[in-house]
Amino acid sequence: MDPTGIFDIPNTSLIFWEVVTFAILLFLLIRYVYPPIRDMINNRQARIEEAIDEAQKTRTEAKELLDEYRRQLDEARGESRRILDESRKQAEAQRTRTKEEAREEGDRIIQRAREEIDRERESTIREIRGEVADMVVTASSRVINQKLDRGEHDRLIQESLDNLEASQRNGGNGGNGGSRAGSETESGRV
Amino acid sequence: MSTMLAQMNSEELRSEIIHTWEVGQDVYLELSLFGIDISITKAVIFLWIGAAITFLIMFVGSRMLKNRPGAYQVIVEELYGFGRNSLGGLMGEEGKKWFPYTLTLFIFILVLNLIGLVPNSFPVTSSISFTLVLALLTFVLAQYQGIRSNGVGTYVAAFVPPNMPAKPIMVPFMFVIEWISELSKPLTLAMRLYANILAGHLLIFIFLSFILYAGGTNTAIGLAMPFLSVPMGLALYGFEVFVAVLQAYIFAILTQIYIELSMYKAEH
Repeated sequence: MDPTGIFDIPNTSLIFWEVVTFAILLFLLIRYVYPPIRDMINNRQARIEEAIDEAQKTRTEAKELLDEYRRQLDEARGESRRILDESRKQAEAQRTRTKEEAREEGDRIIQRAREEIDRERESTIREIRGEVADMVVTASSRVINQKLDRGEHDRLIQESLDNLEASQRNGGNGGNGGSRAGSETESGRV
Repeated sequence: MSTMLAQMNSEELRSEIIHTWEVGQDVYLELSLFGIDISITKAVIFLWIGAAITFLIMFVGSRMLKNRPGAYQVIVEELYGFGRNSLGGLMGEEGKKWFPYTLTLFIFILVLNLIGLVPNSFPVTSSISFTLVLALLTFVLAQYQGIRSNGVGTYVAAFVPPNMPAKPIMVPFMFVIEWISELSKPLTLAMRLYANILAGHLLIFIFLSFILYAGGTNTAIGLAMPFLSVPMGLALYGFEVFVAVLQAYIFAILTQIYIELSMYKAEH
């Protein structure tokens, strides 16, 4: 054997103890050390995989839920828009109808007022006519100092008034623009 | 090393440089088995220290495993993971069953390489006997696995490539060539680790021994030597740490590859 120890073949003591030591080391490590480390790593790996699967599942679920909510929200939005449109339309219709009704009512009231006025005028004219006739008879009888036949007088006055009215109608009716204007001229003339 | 180089002859200097390997053979306890010397030497003591440290590092790590690992547990688990994922199964899933062996080999050699760098220790892996035994173990295991996986006939036949021309001449020729190649595997495996660690340590000692020129007869060299010797020694020491890891890895992965090559011999 090389006395320097640099090329120590065969170093029997080292070879012997190496084989023994390495065999024992191998046995101890493979028997007592590697299994718990392997189990720990495998367990952790399994746990991590489980956690990842779980997270993925949760994520998928959350995504589905989100999609569902979005869909519902869209639906609700559409629904609300529809309701709003409808109510707007209804309100518009209501307004139009109310306006229409109000106009009709107004027209009706005006119509009624006009008829009332016409009626009043008729009766007033009639009264005034009677009064005028009486006054004329009284005045005439006073002037001519003689009692005329009442019936004859009435007839004459009525006739002259009719004539007057007829001539007036023939001469004045051409300038009448509307019914209201016409009635004003008439009442003003009377 | 109190003497100056100027006062030393070359034999004394040589013995200073290889001092480590000389004291590696110091016998602490004389033992023999069937006439074979199995004395407890310094080398054997450091072999045991290396084995003990290897075992303790891994054993303590395996006994304090927690669900939330600390730094130490991460190291131990990473070592195991390195064995399982990087060493085992290089050529096929079946090769994975050998990783406990190669992983043990890796950690053991790594620890021995590193404690060999501690001053006054003995670098066990710089002993050719040590590395050769591990390499021969690799060889034996590779042959065993090759025969077990392929059967004796197929395994032996697989040493000759199929479809050879001039069969009567080429088949024996190739058989011999292939066997030489097969036998050179453990030899190179042993030599690589041994030579790397030995050369590394020798280089460190050689550069450190240059300090003996300091203050010598030649003034220029005497002044320059401390600035060359110590930094180079340090640099090589740092490099040796890297070599320690690298060589342990190479030894382990080559062992795994040789075993797996035998395992799938017939398929190639």
